[in-house]
Amino acid sequence: MTALSASSPPAAQPAPTLRERLRRLRRSYLFKVVIQGVITILAVMTLTFFMIRQMPGNPFQVRIDDLMTRQAMTYEDAYRAAASIFNFDPDRPVILQFSDYIGDLLQGDLGMSITKTGTPVAELILRYLPWTLFSIGLSVLISFTLGTTLGLAIGYWRGSWLDNVVTTLASVISGIPDYIIALLIILIFGVQLEWFKIGQVRGGVDPTITPALSLEYIGSILQYAFMPMLIYTLSSIGAWILAMKSSTISTLGEDYITVAQARGLPQRRILSAYVGRNAMLPLITRLAISIGFIMGGSVIIEEMFQYPGLGRNLYLAITGRDYTVMQGIFLVITVAVVASNILADVAIAWLDPRVRLDKGGEA
Amino acid sequence: MSLDMNKVVLSVRDVSVSYLARRGRVRAVSQVSFDLHAGETLALIGESGCGKSTLNLALIRQLPKNASIDSGSIAYTYRDGRTVNLLDFDKTAMRRYLWSECSMVFQGALNSLNPVLRVSDLVYETAAAHGIGRLEAQTRALKLFEQVRLDAKRVFNSYPHEMSGGMRQRVLLALSLLLRPQIVIMDEPTTAVDILTQRSILDVLKQLRAELNFSVIFISHDLAVAAEIADTVATMYAGEIVEIGPVNDVFYRSRHAYTLSLLNAAPRLSAGAETLESIPGSPPDLIEPPPGCKFHERCAYAQPICRTTPPPMVAYNNGAGRAACHETARVLADARHKA
Repeated sequence: MTALSASSPPAAQPAPTLRERLRRLRRSYLFKVVIQGVITILAVMTLTFFMIRQMPGNPFQVRIDDLMTRQAMTYEDAYRAAASIFNFDPDRPVILQFSDYIGDLLQGDLGMSITKTGTPVAELILRYLPWTLFSIGLSVLISFTLGTTLGLAIGYWRGSWLDNVVTTLASVISGIPDYIIALLIILIFGVQLEWFKIGQVRGGVDPTITPALSLEYIGSILQYAFMPMLIYTLSSIGAWILAMKSSTISTLGEDYITVAQARGLPQRRILSAYVGRNAMLPLITRLAISIGFIMGGSVIIEEMFQYPGLGRNLYLAITGRDYTVMQGIFLVITVAVVASNILADVAIAWLDPRVRLDKGGEA
Repeated sequence: MSLDMNKVVLSVRDVSVSYLARRGRVRAVSQVSFDLHAGETLALIGESGCGKSTLNLALIRQLPKNASIDSGSIAYTYRDGRTVNLLDFDKTAMRRYLWSECSMVFQGALNSLNPVLRVSDLVYETAAAHGIGRLEAQTRALKLFEQVRLDAKRVFNSYPHEMSGGMRQRVLLALSLLLRPQIVIMDEPTTAVDILTQRSILDVLKQLRAELNFSVIFISHDLAVAAEIADTVATMYAGEIVEIGPVNDVFYRSRHAYTLSLLNAAPRLSAGAETLESIPGSPPDLIEPPPGCKFHERCAYAQPICRTTPPPMVAYNNGAGRAACHETARVLADARHKA
């Protein structure tokens, strides 16, 4: 502050030289995190590349087994059939495969799918990513907003009946894995109570409706996304409620809350600007981490509901040992996690004036 | 300074506060009575845990949920002469009363300000909660910041973490006067800051008191600070006011054994270390307080009667002060001897 007020106005300063600009860029927060992010992504990419090849079997083998059992071919016939479809040589050394992969990737090419011959991985991802982004993004938003609001309320009115009910429910629900919640919902509401037809919740959209920007089409998308979203929300909301409750309680013990009450501020103001905003800060980082977890969780949920997202395709790629598709989807998930972490940092800096992203920028 | 002993601003009568603990009721404050006059500074002194802070929170009705005011009355007289009992207020009335009639400077200035709001926001929201517009609030705040010797414009636009402890304490002091209250309660406002900052805060406080004319209830265990700033001093022990009177009477002609022990336990520049005497033992259990005088277990003057009969309050100098001690005569003789 002293330096700021003492320095001459910016107009009097000479225009920054190129070197000065580069120096500033090197020190800037964004530059630092982007470099860190790129390193993280490269490391994850390398690890996944080698790890998925450590799984038993390869796409070739899986297809040969499949042909042998389903079409009762001999091993030789099946081998020839598989070799004629696949654009993949299982005998090529792994390290050379890796250099091919990196080389292609640097040109922006994610390669071709091994099992779905003739389909570029990038096209596959672009086709299925919107479904996952939409369902997960909206669920995270709903779950976070609802969870923190409830957590704030029960933390503030601790010991009330609302607190007891919500805390119990949240503890129970946060202890159940998402696929169990999904099964329970299908069994109880679908099979027992018959509130919905099980067949009608499978898929992404009613296939009889022509895709258009019509209410009917959007309604159908929402209807089909409802089940996966309900499960993502239910499986993550408990943790938000409990985390926000404990954060709220510790914030309530702060002196500035007492002072705010002594100043005669209305309760509304204390709840929002004092308790809520301060209690929310530690949860922003968790939000970023949770996006990664839900991305992972979507594999099973999307498969259960046949939802045409990335998760289901990852599942298919894993069972078919489609290495290139797996690499592509893992890359997308990694980028999503890294990006949401950067976003969380930016959000915290925006909400908490004590956190400044650019250190030493003005001094 | 216009100390008007004829106008009583706050009249506290027989106030008792208890906390509900697992073992039973803790009588943190019992049967406390005092009058606060216009322009008067009343210092409450006593050991940690004697009930000073609880009494304070009771005066602004901000006690924690497990505490309750069991009896008594707190009568407040507005500038227009209306008198109300604070204990009859509902939530809304209390919210309006707070800060506009009676504000508070808390100990620990470091944590008293919301870290995510600018000082200007604190000013605006405080004013808005009591129906004062932004422009008026800003004008008042800038003037007050100057009066507490801060770089007004800079502080107004700062976040709390951008200021030092002393600056924050002065911001709080200025903020406490924003709505021109008649009473400012200060709970150890100089405890968390260094000695030089303490000096400047006390100077600022004295100057403000002279300019703005408000009454102060000053809580401190720092006797030197209390002696410097107070008109009246009240000694608290085990939840009771055991002695109250003009500052010179209480400090130089102590009439209660506890006050004298407290004074003897405080270091003085003029005396050597050998004259420093600590008070043996620790404050009594407030769930089952000892019979008689609550101080008798630790008292050097204790007589058989102290163990059985609670000492009555005895007024002196036509009611200028009063003390509750069986051994006033001996204590007073020793106090005079020391002085």
